[in-house]
Amino acid sequence: MPVSGLSSMRGNPAGDERGDAPAVMLKATSLTKRFGGFTALDRFDLSVRQGAIHALIGPNGAGKTTAFNLLTKFHEPSEGHIVFDGEDVTALRPAAVSRKGLVRSFQISATFLQLTVLENVRIALQRRAGLADQFWRSDRVLTTLDARARALLADVNLDGFAGRLAVDLSYGRRRALELATTIALDPKMLLLDEPMAGLGHEDIQAIVALVRKVAVGRTVLMVEHNLSVVSDLCDTITVLQHGKVIAEGGYAAIAGDARVREAYLGTEAA
Amino acid sequence: MVTIFGVPAAALYGQLLVGLINGSFYALLSLGLAVIFGMLNVINVAHGAMYMLGAFAAWFLLHMFGISYWWALGLAPIAVALVGVVIERTTLRRVAHLDHLYGFLLTLGLAMVIEGLFRYWYGSSGQPYAIPSALAGGIKLPFMFLPIYRVWVVVVSLVVCLATWLVIERTHIGAHLRAATENAVLSQAFGLNVPLLVTLTYAGGVALAGLAGVLAAPIYQVSPLMGSNLIIVVFAVVVVGGMGSILGSIVTGYLLGIVEGMTRVYYPEASSIVIFVIMVVVLMLRPAGLFGREKDSAANASPPIGATQATGMDDKWAAIGALGVVAALIAAPALVYPVFLMKLMCFALFAAAFNLLIGFVGLLSFGHAAFFGSGAYIAAYAAKVWHLDPLLCVLAGTATGAVLGLLFGALAIRRSGIYFAMITLALAQMVYFIALQAPFTGGEDGIQDVPRGMLFGVLDLQHPVAMYGFVMAVFVVGMAVLWRVVRSPFGQVLKAIRENEARAISLGYDVQRFKLKAFVISAALAGAAGGTKALVFQLASLTDVTWQMSGDVVLMTLMGGIGTMLGPVVGAAVVVSLENALAGLEFPITVLIGAIFIACVLLFRRGIVGEVQQWFARLSRVSN
Repeated sequence: MPVSGLSSMRGNPAGDERGDAPAVMLKATSLTKRFGGFTALDRFDLSVRQGAIHALIGPNGAGKTTAFNLLTKFHEPSEGHIVFDGEDVTALRPAAVSRKGLVRSFQISATFLQLTVLENVRIALQRRAGLADQFWRSDRVLTTLDARARALLADVNLDGFAGRLAVDLSYGRRRALELATTIALDPKMLLLDEPMAGLGHEDIQAIVALVRKVAVGRTVLMVEHNLSVVSDLCDTITVLQHGKVIAEGGYAAIAGDARVREAYLGTEAA
Repeated sequence: MVTIFGVPAAALYGQLLVGLINGSFYALLSLGLAVIFGMLNVINVAHGAMYMLGAFAAWFLLHMFGISYWWALGLAPIAVALVGVVIERTTLRRVAHLDHLYGFLLTLGLAMVIEGLFRYWYGSSGQPYAIPSALAGGIKLPFMFLPIYRVWVVVVSLVVCLATWLVIERTHIGAHLRAATENAVLSQAFGLNVPLLVTLTYAGGVALAGLAGVLAAPIYQVSPLMGSNLIIVVFAVVVVGGMGSILGSIVTGYLLGIVEGMTRVYYPEASSIVIFVIMVVVLMLRPAGLFGREKDSAANASPPIGATQATGMDDKWAAIGALGVVAALIAAPALVYPVFLMKLMCFALFAAAFNLLIGFVGLLSFGHAAFFGSGAYIAAYAAKVWHLDPLLCVLAGTATGAVLGLLFGALAIRRSGIYFAMITLALAQMVYFIALQAPFTGGEDGIQDVPRGMLFGVLDLQHPVAMYGFVMAVFVVGMAVLWRVVRSPFGQVLKAIRENEARAISLGYDVQRFKLKAFVISAALAGAAGGTKALVFQLASLTDVTWQMSGDVVLMTLMGGIGTMLGPVVGAAVVVSLENALAGLEFPITVLIGAIFIACVLLFRRGIVGEVQQWFARLSRVSN
């Protein structure tokens, strides 16, 4: 029975037992990061609803990747708090944040290049299956994860590539592999850092479809420069500039916001 | 007589001055290292050799051309800088695009060649260099006698250090340098001649070391090995200070020199290790170093060391290979001297254990001799004093390696890349000094006449065949353990960490814990190899814990093929054979080893087994 790997097994998407308004999945309060004298992120507040596909946009150097690094604890915030799924995760280490179900991807596609495509997905499955610490067992035991790994690969159309090394894949396929690996953890929430960066038009269509598919029953926060992708996928958009939030809302509201136009196009256009 | 905390004031001031002198050299050398590291991303292991060259240059100038100290102060650093230009242009440039560890290994090879040649030409004993007459003598102060030359050294070093800092932070040239350090590609696009800047930076950095050498010549003797021990202390200084800040490395250099001097007054036994102890404390409290900047956790852009190999051969070939090795080992004593074969097996296991880290986790430990040597000492002690069963002796060695590995690992994994190599090296040097001074190790003599004992009380290992069988059993079991670790669920996660550490974290793995575990396994097997070696040669000695031993095992692995199962075995066979063949010659083996190091880094990074595998892979691709 090949299980479809992509959609969440958690069910009850965007639901909240207490009322109509969906619960908040991720809440950052006054998050600040200073590097020496430079403030990369300045009292950043963010609230991502459960089940949302939320975009974080802004010009280069606005602090988007810094925000991601702080939310996933890859960098230590100078100030502020992060609450994920009702729990304060500010003091956790990055691997622990991931284990809570908040899993990130990277701007440069992150795969294990010298491992096969199948092994890449299995690495993610290994930890949840409790097959990571045994140095005394044969790695043949990992074949018990193959069925699940292949199902995940089939969902991102990589089933024909299971035996290839990741390094031999095209850029678009590596993105797909990265997504399959992330989904293998069955995270509650995904942070995608520019999932479309470096992709051609056709690849973008494919990844957009994939993101939409994996978002079912999950929450997604993505940094993305391609605004047509953002308008296509995302229900809420937060705009950053110089480390500060300058606007937040739906696509139409954001597109009409004078400050956002100024941030992107410069003062002359305002 | 005035005393301070029970110590005569004159002695205290005297040691304070010695501390300041050493601090001056630490500052000059670590400043040069920091400048070079900032620009080239290379830890210049040859820095100690450059310091030695500076001293020798002054000596040559005086004794061959009658050129005085004063001229040498300028000419010797220039000569060293020229050597630096040649080194950078001919070798370092060619590894710039690779993992930083290759730069480390390359400069290590250069240091071995240079120091080995000078040792061959001038012996280990030092050549005296007279203090110039204008600086001879001293001033009699009410509380101490102040030698003028020593004051001169401290003042000159301080002025040069501060001048270097000013040039980098305040001038036009410095601005270019900092720009190129920050972003080489962009600076080049803006019209800066970055390759020239890189060459000049390296030349300038080593010139500082050369100057330190000239200043040191009249104080210490001019000797070929004057730099090789100093450089390890300087590494510790650099780890304590953190290389992010120029001023930081200067301040740290002086500070640690003074601390070392004070330790010599109040607790002389600890003076040789106090800097290493401080390094340990700093690593625990502030891993980035006193003046270090917060490091970026972003992944390294260059491909990790050891990652060039494909995932490995299939099981059928592995089984055939293993059987072949065992068959060869059974047959070999008919053809080859058994003691040689036993030595080879010990080193092959040692190298294979080391390879677990560099080949499958991407960590270069430069302190593996500490585990090997401690394993040897403990096994020898257990056999000689406690009269334990030989198997228990080897297991005691294994346990020692594991415990030490846990301590080293817990400290070293706080830093990655090149810092990891420097920290393990410094920690191992601490073990060396402890072995030199501890009562049970026998100091310079080591533990001799170790009995091989009766295995399980019945099998006399004094018998050559029995001993050979015992060593072979240890070797085969050790290799089997490594094979299992590499081909296990755990090994699979290790490979993932090597390939992309940040991604492994984002998948929820505590990579530090995995690295530590691998480190302990590797150290334990290195201890087993050392313990077995102690029984084979019936000797545990200081040689086993020197940094040269750590270097040997790196070379064996690099030469045989990093990240391959058979590579370290082949590499150990080649190196041990070479050492045996050249043992009778006068020519210094370190020069040859160093030259092979350089050749491996520049030309054969895959190693022997790696090249053969590549060749087969190409063949099979063609035939497909």
